Amino acid sequence: MDILFLLIPLSVVLALLIIGALGWAVWRGQFEALEQEAERILHGD
Amino acid sequence: MQTAPALASAGLSRPIAGNDAWAALDEPAEWEGFSRPVAGREGWWESCLALEGMHCAACALTVEEVLRGLPGVDAVQVNGVTATARLQWQPQATRPSAWMAALGRAGYGALPAGDLLLAGRRVAAQRLMLWRWLVAGFCMMQVMMYAAPAYLAPPGEITPDLQALLGWASWVLTLPVLLFSCWPFFSAALRDVRRLRIGMDVPVALGVLIAFGASTAATFDPASPWGAHASYDSVPMFVFFLLSGRLLEQRLRDRTAGALEALMRRLPDSVERQEADGSFRAVAVRRLVAGDLVRVLPGQAFPADGEVETGESRVDQSLLTGESKPLLRRVGDGVVAGSHNLTSMLLVRVQRVGPQTRYAEIVALMEQASLEKPGLVQLVDRIASPFLVAVLLAAAAAAVWWWPLGQAHAMAVAVSVLIVTCPCALSLATPAAMLAGAGALARRGVLVRKLQALESCAAVDTVVFDKTGTLTEDRMDVVMAYTPPSLDRDEACDRAGALARHSLHPVSRAIAARFPASDWVASEVEEVAGRGLRGKVSRLDGSGSQYLYLGSASFCRAPVPGRDGPVLQAHLSDGEHYLAGFELDEAIRPDAAQAVSALLKLGIRVQLLSGDTGQAVAHLARRAGIEWYFGERTPEGKLAHVRRLQSEGHRVMMVGDGMNDGPVLAAADVSMAMGQAVPLAQARADFIMAGSELSTVAALVAQARRTRRVVRQNLLWAALYNAACVPLAILGYMPTWLAGFGMAASSLLVVANSARLARSTSGH
Repeated sequence: MDILFLLIPLSVVLALLIIGALGWAVWRGQFEALEQEAERILHGD
Repeated sequence: MQTAPALASAGLSRPIAGNDAWAALDEPAEWEGFSRPVAGREGWWESCLALEGMHCAACALTVEEVLRGLPGVDAVQVNGVTATARLQWQPQATRPSAWMAALGRAGYGALPAGDLLLAGRRVAAQRLMLWRWLVAGFCMMQVMMYAAPAYLAPPGEITPDLQALLGWASWVLTLPVLLFSCWPFFSAALRDVRRLRIGMDVPVALGVLIAFGASTAATFDPASPWGAHASYDSVPMFVFFLLSGRLLEQRLRDRTAGALEALMRRLPDSVERQEADGSFRAVAVRRLVAGDLVRVLPGQAFPADGEVETGESRVDQSLLTGESKPLLRRVGDGVVAGSHNLTSMLLVRVQRVGPQTRYAEIVALMEQASLEKPGLVQLVDRIASPFLVAVLLAAAAAAVWWWPLGQAHAMAVAVSVLIVTCPCALSLATPAAMLAGAGALARRGVLVRKLQALESCAAVDTVVFDKTGTLTEDRMDVVMAYTPPSLDRDEACDRAGALARHSLHPVSRAIAARFPASDWVASEVEEVAGRGLRGKVSRLDGSGSQYLYLGSASFCRAPVPGRDGPVLQAHLSDGEHYLAGFELDEAIRPDAAQAVSALLKLGIRVQLLSGDTGQAVAHLARRAGIEWYFGERTPEGKLAHVRRLQSEGHRVMMVGDGMNDGPVLAAADVSMAMGQAVPLAQARADFIMAGSELSTVAALVAQARRTRRVVRQNLLWAALYNAACVPLAILGYMPTWLAGFGMAASSLLVVANSARLARSTSGH
């Protein structure tokens, strides 16, 4: 049971890190032009 | 939104110009890129701006006030749905940087529309919105997990310190939602409060703050009257729902109002121009001048209006005229800016560039229409503000009423009331539907000059067509050719065609167009004005040479078989013998009969009104299938006719060429002009047909009716939703998360319902 006192704060830190990672992905444009990326594989080179 | 703090802090340093960040725009070379001189107003320019940070119809009013307050600026129109503004201004009195700074101080970002910056900034705004939404969603899930034990465990099983830890963890993860995801709500609310107004976001921001404050108190002081059981799970949840609604609404709106932007993005940025040394080099389109020779490859759009100098290709003008078939363009044919070259390379001599192109006229027209506020919208704008005040009062009253039963519950009820009301459904209902309808019509080649007219068009029960230039094209057509029985008819016709090719008279053109076969050639052709043609006609190899006459009966010097009637005739003879006769008539538009029957099917009376002789009108009416026709009407007579119809209670739509029938068009309830005869900006009609398909008239009426239906559905839904949900929330039957969900779903429903209009004409 005591381990929860470590795990819950850890999960908060992890959640904050994930929020940051989401921001990184958004600003890298990973959620834009999804079709274009999907089609790229069909276009050779 | 991002630029607002920077602009606000810098302030005004010079009287005319604004802020340094925008100083570059004050160069005439720059602002001429997104402005144009106002016709008929010396020294005034007109500009368009794309606005950032607009959330509702009320924001549009604020921006309008800000811009109107500037010296040297007037005729300000702001559209809340497309987030665009249009204004007229004097370069002596003001400069673009001054407006930008003023808007920045009011809390809005602005960009010159058409500027290259626009794309990048729009993308950044969209990304930020997506990030806000992802943060809200992710924190919602995590907070929900922390809240789960409190719901599932039997009372007393969770130790108080563990519960405090869970509360603390929830609080930390709610913070990013409050500070980051909710920022658009807070900044908009703050702006409204500063200007002593109430906007859509004030109740939402208030609700979020109250809910978060109550939960914070409960977490850090479990002994307080707020109760030990904090309701964190609800804050991220309804924020997430609200943001989902905003996000989807934004995307739908972009797509729906996209017809205009699709049109604006038609022009290429650069084009290959022939330089003095004969080579082709890419230059910016705005550097083109009339007389340049440009190379347009298949798949590219034409950058300017011009004439084909070399090559032959098919071009797609569908976005400009609604005509779906690709058109063949040969040497000497005109091409218009914004249409697409489809099959092969063309060299084009530029004739008109920039604002003089037909494309620019269409864009200007559509921009203007999208900025106009129909009467219904103005009405809704007026009631939105009192409605919001009523909501705030209702929330306060509910809190007071429930207070004796527990503060926490009272606050939860007040928050629900604040969140659940959805004035946005009310204020979005009409403009969203009308813009979607206008966008769909634009794709069919009908340009809407006045959105208001879409309302009246739905009620039309009588369509009156003008004849010349409307039902008919402005050319003649051979309707019948006859020869004496002893002669070969085809040969006679072909010989007449060969002779007619040498004249530009309408009758000759019609005969030449009808009989283009070229086994025969004519030489030594001589035209006697108003009477006919004579010349030597022979086969290609020179045989069968004969001197022929084509023209009126007297000119042909041959006995003409008696065929009476008012129809226009031309005859062919060899000077002694009669060879052939042609009956000509005005060329009726190919889809006239089809258009009339489509209108009849919609339950609309169709009439034909013309200044031409009664017989000609009757004849044409029969061909088009029109039952009621009225000939020999002077312009005053036409006007009187329309007025009489109106006094009988009919709603009249007048379709004319837009040139000679101005007064009648103005008198009718709704007017439509054929856009090919006149410069678009001068056509005084509510709708303009950019193509030549008459069937769009029926499509227009059908679309107007659909738009009216959707507007009514939207308004009914918004009224019912608010009437049902606000009392439920006051009575305490509406948990906050459901309130957030309801509001998001309601405004989405309105926008999605309107988006149906953007598609529905294709099926017609």
